Amino acid sequence: MEQKLDFLSELGNIGASYATTALSKMLNDARLRLTVPQSRILSFAEAASFIADPEEIVVCVYMRLMESFQADMALIFPIESALALAVYLTSEKTDQLTELGQSALLEVGNIVLSSYLTALSMLSGAKLNPTVPAIAVDMNGAIWESILADAGITDCVTVLDTHFFTDKMELSGHLFFMPDHDIYEIMSPKVSGLLLEENK
Amino acid sequence: MNEVFVNMGQIGVLRYTGVLVTVGLGSCVGVSLYDPSSKVGALAHVFLAKSRDNSNRELIPGKYADTAIPALIDLAVKAGANKHRFEAKIAGGAHLFNTFNADMPSVGQKNVEAVTAQLNKHNIPIIGKEVLGKHGRKMSLFIDSGIVVVTTIGQESIRI
Repeated sequence: MEQKLDFLSELGNIGASYATTALSKMLNDARLRLTVPQSRILSFAEAASFIADPEEIVVCVYMRLMESFQADMALIFPIESALALAVYLTSEKTDQLTELGQSALLEVGNIVLSSYLTALSMLSGAKLNPTVPAIAVDMNGAIWESILADAGITDCVTVLDTHFFTDKMELSGHLFFMPDHDIYEIMSPKVSGLLLEENK
Repeated sequence: MNEVFVNMGQIGVLRYTGVLVTVGLGSCVGVSLYDPSSKVGALAHVFLAKSRDNSNRELIPGKYADTAIPALIDLAVKAGANKHRFEAKIAGGAHLFNTFNADMPSVGQKNVEAVTAQLNKHNIPIIGKEVLGKHGRKMSLFIDSGIVVVTTIGQESIRI
């Protein structure tokens, strides 16, 4: 079991570093710093209380992976971060999340999450086709549980936290990747070989 | 006022006073049972319609509609309620991400149907509901009155 967790963590870290590099490029490299902490595996009960403030309003871009193995992915920004990011990208002078702003964020989510998948695809050689991304602006708790329910999470979930910082604004966000258990059987033989080589 | 929070997959009960609150109902469905005579109220935050793996059923009965409703009835009866006087209210079952699986019944819709079927099976009338739609909800059951308040972002709270 521990080997599986290590494997998933490693996979998640590689994916997240690709994803955050993509975001960094969109924000003009120099302005953005980020940290990628270790992924965590949560039990259902832990997942239920994972969101510290379930009433907080957030913006979430969500997509699902259905071929090869199932996985649900989400990029979640607190509303203040989402607004700052939208204003930065669109140059709109507004304190509201406009339709244009939402569409910019949807594109950010699409690029960031797709970069994550590109990393996994390169590692495994598997063809990974995600669904068209969807965006929601809602209570953090409602978004979180809807994703878990859609994914049919019954026991545990892998979670990644990624924080973004810039000189001019503070961005924080969560990048979630929630793979089905099949991912281990599908990706492990190929990826483990690569990682073992690296660790030698 | 004594506020008791009910997490995803959990059930809670109070008598005489206080408020049972569940936050962040997306596709999940909040189910309240209330006996006006004994002033016992109970609240469940149901995650999915049907249990998929038997191993977890006993562990977290509030997670699935088919185990949550019986568990909720038991809990309220043990707290002093009469099961023939139960009135149910339900909230939630929304579909937040609109573009995905638009032609299939959503998880939220299945949850609402499963909870409704369970309540019907136990002959408990549903006297108020605020379900489906596109947005998440917060649900609060006020124990002294049996009033349920449902809140959605950017909208006035609704009493059911």
